[in-house]
Amino acid sequence: MATSVRATADGYPPPAKNAPSSSPPGDGPPQGWRQKLYRFDTKASPYAYIAPFFLTFAAFGLFPLIYTGWLSLHQVELGAPAHWVGFKNYTRLWDSSFFWTALRNTFTLGVISTVPQLMMALGLAHLLNYKMRGRSFFRVAILAPYATSIAAASLVFVVLFNPDYGMINQMLGHLGVHGINWETSKWPSQIAISAIVTWRWTGYNALIYLAAMQAVPGDLYEAAALDGASRWRQFISVTIPSIRPTIFFTIIVSTIGATQLFGEPLIYGGGVGVSGGSAHQYQTLSLYMYEKGWTNNELGQASAVAWVMLLILLLIGAVQLLVMRANRRKVKG
Amino acid sequence: MAQLTETSRSMPGPRHSAAGGKRRRFRADAAGKQQNAGPVAYVIIAFAALVSLFPLYWTVVAASRTDTEIVTPPTPLLPGSHLIDNLKIVWDQVDMTKALINSTIVASCVALSTVLFATLAGFAFAKLEFRGRNALLSVVVATMTIPPQLSVIPLYQIITNVHWVGHLQAVILPSLVAAFGVFFMRQFLSEALPIELIEAARVDGAHSLRIIWHVVFPIARPAMAVLGMLVFVQAWNDFFWPFIALSQQNPTVQVALAGLGNGNHSVDHAIVVTGALVATLPLLVVFAVLGKQIVGGITAGAVKS
Amino acid sequence: MRTSGRTRTAAVIAVAGLATCATLITGCSDSKDKSDKGSNSSSGSSDQITLRIGDFGSFGYDDKTGAALFAEYHKLHPNITVKEDATSDGQRYWDTLKLHLSQNSGLDDIQAIEVGYIAEADQPNLAGKFEDLGKVANVDDWVSYKEKQATTPDGKVIGLGTDIAPTAICYRKDLFQQAGLPTDRDAVGRLWAGDWQKFVDAGKTFKKKAPSGVAFIDSGSGLFNAVLASQPSQYSDASGKLIYDTSPGVKTAWDLATEAVQEGLTAKLKQFNTDNSWNAAFKTSKFATIACPSWMIGQVRDNSGPALKGKWDIASPPQAGNWGGSFLAVPSSGKHIKEAEDLAKFLTSAASQVKVFQKFGNLPSTKAGLNDPAVQSATNPYFPGTPVGKIFAGTAAQIQPAPIGKYDGQVKTFITDNGILDMEQHGTSKEKAWGNVQALVKDKISE
Repeated sequence: MATSVRATADGYPPPAKNAPSSSPPGDGPPQGWRQKLYRFDTKASPYAYIAPFFLTFAAFGLFPLIYTGWLSLHQVELGAPAHWVGFKNYTRLWDSSFFWTALRNTFTLGVISTVPQLMMALGLAHLLNYKMRGRSFFRVAILAPYATSIAAASLVFVVLFNPDYGMINQMLGHLGVHGINWETSKWPSQIAISAIVTWRWTGYNALIYLAAMQAVPGDLYEAAALDGASRWRQFISVTIPSIRPTIFFTIIVSTIGATQLFGEPLIYGGGVGVSGGSAHQYQTLSLYMYEKGWTNNELGQASAVAWVMLLILLLIGAVQLLVMRANRRKVKG
Repeated sequence: MAQLTETSRSMPGPRHSAAGGKRRRFRADAAGKQQNAGPVAYVIIAFAALVSLFPLYWTVVAASRTDTEIVTPPTPLLPGSHLIDNLKIVWDQVDMTKALINSTIVASCVALSTVLFATLAGFAFAKLEFRGRNALLSVVVATMTIPPQLSVIPLYQIITNVHWVGHLQAVILPSLVAAFGVFFMRQFLSEALPIELIEAARVDGAHSLRIIWHVVFPIARPAMAVLGMLVFVQAWNDFFWPFIALSQQNPTVQVALAGLGNGNHSVDHAIVVTGALVATLPLLVVFAVLGKQIVGGITAGAVKS
Repeated sequence: MRTSGRTRTAAVIAVAGLATCATLITGCSDSKDKSDKGSNSSSGSSDQITLRIGDFGSFGYDDKTGAALFAEYHKLHPNITVKEDATSDGQRYWDTLKLHLSQNSGLDDIQAIEVGYIAEADQPNLAGKFEDLGKVANVDDWVSYKEKQATTPDGKVIGLGTDIAPTAICYRKDLFQQAGLPTDRDAVGRLWAGDWQKFVDAGKTFKKKAPSGVAFIDSGSGLFNAVLASQPSQYSDASGKLIYDTSPGVKTAWDLATEAVQEGLTAKLKQFNTDNSWNAAFKTSKFATIACPSWMIGQVRDNSGPALKGKWDIASPPQAGNWGGSFLAVPSSGKHIKEAEDLAKFLTSAASQVKVFQKFGNLPSTKAGLNDPAVQSATNPYFPGTPVGKIFAGTAAQIQPAPIGKYDGQVKTFITDNGILDMEQHGTSKEKAWGNVQALVKDKISE
């Protein structure tokens, strides 16, 4: 029974030929031109299905990508002619302490805002999968943060984290912790921004997990319950392994999102948002790129940052693919 | 064409689980493995709902206050009396009705098209064999890594050249590059769609479109609903590109929000938040409607193995 | 498997929806074309024309909250309707405007430009996209330093001045009294007349007997900006080259501001901080003075609240400087250049500027506007007895023009946010703070 669940978990047909026996063969294999049409349909239809995506990608994804790459080899201001500088923009980045700060910040912000978030999303999704009263309401509720406009949400959190009057510091004051400045100090500001990101995106990921959990067959849970597994045990041993590919998926997507973190720190910082605080304490790579391109009018350098971000992500993606492949081999073997 | 019976996998189980040391309430109904949530689950979910909704609640509070009341400590926690006034001012300052209509059009079109393209492409990547599949899939994932803030510049060039500046097309079409959607549907379908179903249909002579319609779409429905919701919200809340491509004469709600709250050398936060509230409410309606599509706990179209 | 009725309905809706979207996508929504840069005909002034003006923040022109200049213009020219395209974030407005200019699309008939960005707009790259308004307006109508800011090196005038912001000093009479300083505005002005150093010295005197918890001035950055604005040599030289590290004006302002910080004279606030700590500090009397450009009056009033009415007064600054103001420019790619230029002239005429001043407090930049009795005799109920208009108009008359450059805004941000604010918030030493500024300039600004 377990074989059908696991083996198809990654999309490859099970090696054993269990020919479907649910119905007698109808007309048998189609003949003549029908056969040709059938074969053409099988061969060509996949390309037809992916064509709409790739067409729009070619126009709106590929061109900007290549153009940005071209820009990164030049020194150019918006609207002005470009001067060729080769790889100078990239070496400038290597030498720039602000770039490394932004890189470090992106990494720390990424970890703090992604790891707890995904874990909580997983737990929430599992809980929401149960039969409970008001389930639809709760599902809408946890997705509400994603719907709240980023401007309104950031305003709320800025007020919450206000060092003098905000609720967070007031509550902490009762616990004896005073005077944390949530904007000017490095780690508090990153924690605050991570709080905003976590609040916004947990429901989103929970919903994705929930959708995946719909495909987990009930008898797995039955069997586990019959064996005396507690709910926690069922969560660990049934739910998580069954949706492992989805978990990988959200890890990849969240990593990409974390690397491109832009809106939340920007609005959190207000006037100093683009520079990530007066000491760049929360400037991410995206903010650094935006600052370079728009505030400093250095499109070439900004494009170089964009391509570096791309390369970093491809690197991370390659690593994750290797991990996935190793995992798959473990499952198959 | 053969009838593919819609059966659920599980069998009706015992009413009460008597086995095992841990006495957990377990009830299976005819449809599947629906377990009841325990008290712990309720507490956790209720807390999560509270945390999730509080900022939204505060948005309502702020929208019913004046700017002075919001920025002067102590921060108000209860609604005030200025909601109607603020709403009037919002409609005075920007054409909110047009913005709402435009956003509905844009977000619906993007969501519909994205879900359709993504399901087709996701299905192809998940279940069909064709040359270059893995390479093309890598390209799909790679496109997600392009930072949007920079691609606006060449994008604006394209949009200018096709004379779409200020028109809704400028905002709809670029959003259709739905790499996330393709990736997501592929992920879901590779788990949820057993290859046997497709092979059975093929043996019965069904061509691809038939398979899509009768096999893929029903199974993909929960994921399509989820994807539709997420994409709708994303398109609705997109503020960076629409601000560049559109203007206050033909705005989406986020563009309209950017024009709100102009005070005398200061920003009127109450008006901005009121606008944000107006912008958020339609989304919650969409959730309520589409949320029903995420059928709880039942797998449809499965095959007994 | 049976397709249920519900699925079929969903299918029909989906197909209909997609068809609608396809129609939209293929551009059949031509009804939107009318809003694209005015109406169809460009010849003959008797046709209906819609002019669009893009601006940010508070220009005070609109009919609902401002001086209703658009309605007035429509009465004078019944065939012209004016629509405003306002954005609240000035930085975002400018970034988007630059992108639009680079493609000559998405532009309004008139685009406002703030003084912080005007130097950038004077560069050949951008200046070439605007009309030369010096040909259609008399530049001498404006105060001399104003139009100089909008003049390119080869004499093209790309913007007509809207308002200016001469900077005075707002001070709390009651707090000054408690600290033993004079309270009459003329006496206060004499305390520091002619020299900003005297202002800092007055701060040290204040500190000796000040009520506890009250700083002399709100921020080191505010002081820096006010001092620098009054210097004849600022960030750039006459050719537009960045000279911030050798400029005597920058050195004076930096030394004075850092002295104020090190002596503990500032309340260490960040002006207009999003967490509203600066706004809240007015009410809780955290500081006794603040550099007051003419537009700051509204902030002082709104943030301090009715309880402090009459406690604030305005004194002349040690030296006169300008902190703010904007221009109206006409992009050359517009479809109604002549009409746009006429509208720009109307909106920046002395009469219009006076009307805006009365509604919003934006000080006129035309000489006639400044001399208008309505401006000269203007008062503000929040500052009873203070000749608000006279003080600012008088300060305006003393402002000396200084060269501006396109990197000024960025360097200003580095110095105030990353230099002075860093010293105030993190206790960074003066030398290290300046080092930070230099490192930033080196990284961000390539020469």
